[in-house]
Amino acid sequence: MWRVSVRDLLWRRRRFAIALLATGLVFSMTLLMSGISSSLHAQNRRIVRSFSADAWVVAKGTAGPFTASSAIPAAVSDAVAKLPGVRRADPIIVFRSTVGPGTLRDVNVLGYRPGGIGAPHVTSGRGLRAPDEVVADTTLGYRVGERVKLGGHPLRVVGLADAVTFYFGTPTLVLSIADVQRLAFAGQALASAIVTRGVPRAAASGLHVLTDDQVVHDLERPMKNSDQTLSLVNALLWIVAAGIIGSIVYLSALERGHDFAVLKATGATNRSLLTGLALQAVVLATAAALLAAVLAAFLAPIFPFTVSIPGGAYVSLVAVALAVGLLSSLAGLRRAVRVDPALAFGGA
Amino acid sequence: MDLHIDSLTIEYTSGGYRVRPIDGLDLRVASGELVLLLGASGCGKTTLLSALAGILTPAAGSIRLGELDVTAMPARARTEYRRRTVGIVFQAFNLVPGLSALDNVQVPLWAAGVPGRTARRRAAELLERVGLGDRVGHRPSGLSGGQQQRVAIARALAHDPPLVLADEPTAHLDYIQVDRVLRLLRELAEPGRVVVVATHDERLLPLADRVVELSPRAAAEAAVPERRTLTGGEVVFSQGDRGELVYMVERGEIEIVRVRADGTEERLGHAGPGRYFGELAPLFGLRRSATARAATTSEITGYSPRDFRDRFGVDLARAPVGADAPR
Repeated sequence: MWRVSVRDLLWRRRRFAIALLATGLVFSMTLLMSGISSSLHAQNRRIVRSFSADAWVVAKGTAGPFTASSAIPAAVSDAVAKLPGVRRADPIIVFRSTVGPGTLRDVNVLGYRPGGIGAPHVTSGRGLRAPDEVVADTTLGYRVGERVKLGGHPLRVVGLADAVTFYFGTPTLVLSIADVQRLAFAGQALASAIVTRGVPRAAASGLHVLTDDQVVHDLERPMKNSDQTLSLVNALLWIVAAGIIGSIVYLSALERGHDFAVLKATGATNRSLLTGLALQAVVLATAAALLAAVLAAFLAPIFPFTVSIPGGAYVSLVAVALAVGLLSSLAGLRRAVRVDPALAFGGA
Repeated sequence: MDLHIDSLTIEYTSGGYRVRPIDGLDLRVASGELVLLLGASGCGKTTLLSALAGILTPAAGSIRLGELDVTAMPARARTEYRRRTVGIVFQAFNLVPGLSALDNVQVPLWAAGVPGRTARRRAAELLERVGLGDRVGHRPSGLSGGQQQRVAIARALAHDPPLVLADEPTAHLDYIQVDRVLRLLRELAEPGRVVVVATHDERLLPLADRVVELSPRAAAEAAVPERRTLTGGEVVFSQGDRGELVYMVERGEIEIVRVRADGTEERLGHAGPGRYFGELAPLFGLRRSATARAATTSEITGYSPRDFRDRFGVDLARAPVGADAPR
């Protein structure tokens, strides 16, 4: 009897196409949500790993270098470098500011010791050599040689780096630590953290040693609310998709009530009718999932930061789409079961 | 395969009341016969077809087709019976609108799990047989009423069933279209098959080997008045009975009640001396829509409607309509 359902789908192809488009759009939103969430987490991991540090040393009581504003003397790096297990130690500074000219844009600012740990991977131009030079994230759209103002301080872009973003896709400017100390600490020799090659076997007094994972965890803590929001919106979108598929299947069951009565009167079992209706829901959900994958690929570049949808999201989309399709068609299935074959008799 | 119907009684609930359109029907139809169920709307023709198709379960009696006891079958077996043994031609064709003529004929074959190629070949043969070999790809909307009915007949024959049921097969056809459909129906009644046609179309009478009138004939002839003496609680007639007489109360009191679906009674009224009741059933050839019984020791006289009019000068057809209620 599945053939009857397939032909019915073809017969009502306009309605099917509209439902497919609507459901596909909703599904593509869920894919993009997954992509956004995944990308935000990925960029946090990427920025931490980009330092290639074995350990992060911060002031005791500080959650991490990216979220706390407390500072330690930069000279502590010399003491840390002498700790057993440490081969090299350099101070870094992380803070947030705005960059111009023109419309001010929020940026993360990273200060590191040129030649030391934390040098960005420059994809265009060169690294820092002199004061007042900056390496900028490519999403800012600057060109090498362009002049910018960071918190009113003039800088020259000497290099560009890819994917140096964190804090919800905020782009990053990388400066020498001396320049950042001048901008953030009025020239005081302070640092947000000390990054090391080699892991200190004992922390110096008043300091605290963190691993990469702990730093990532600290960086992701402020995202907890946004993660929950994304999950909630995703759940709502699934419900909308279920509503669309469910209403299409229910309408189909409603309109085909007389057909079902005729089919039952000619010997079709409830199970075969249910299989046919469920098939419609599954076909619609699966086709919508495929359309969503295409739509998401087109829509992802519109976002102001890189949205890369993980492969698992596509797999789970198909699985959830099937579940949504079947669950949402329950009302229609229930109606089909209740159709009395005696309705087939009598007038039109 | 002969069809045997014994003491068949079918009841169902309608509008909160219990209705018994078929009451104690006996019928024998031999293989190869075409039987017409004739009667006005509401007389139980379609109800009987539903029972023959194994859709309705009768309250009493039995239906046997050859060795098959249809009334004793469990639900699953009845579905199988409909799938393999019965072909149904519905009143409004009832073709699935999204399917072509070929697909519509294949539906019962698909339901029975017949392989696609075999089903297709069989459906094409049947459409050829009903003269629609050149219309296989047309959807119902592209076919005339007569062509749709022929597709419906082809569908009913998909499994070459020993029992074919047709419900008002000419209801939606003009006189040109009806000709071919009638001839097809007649051809179906061949040895090994019983054809039962429900209709109120008397043009079909010459087709039939046997005619079963399900409507009680309206009592038109004058009959000798029937005088009855009743004790309290004695029933004059019961809801669902056929009725031929109008009753005049001479003495005592008659109460009129209607039985609800839950078995409780609704009192419609009562008739005392000089009042009459029970005129609708004999006048219009209907079944009694209520029960009349003596509330006390009573004496009543039953008249045919014509006799009643001649004696009392009451035009029953123009009297206010009530459900066999007293006047």
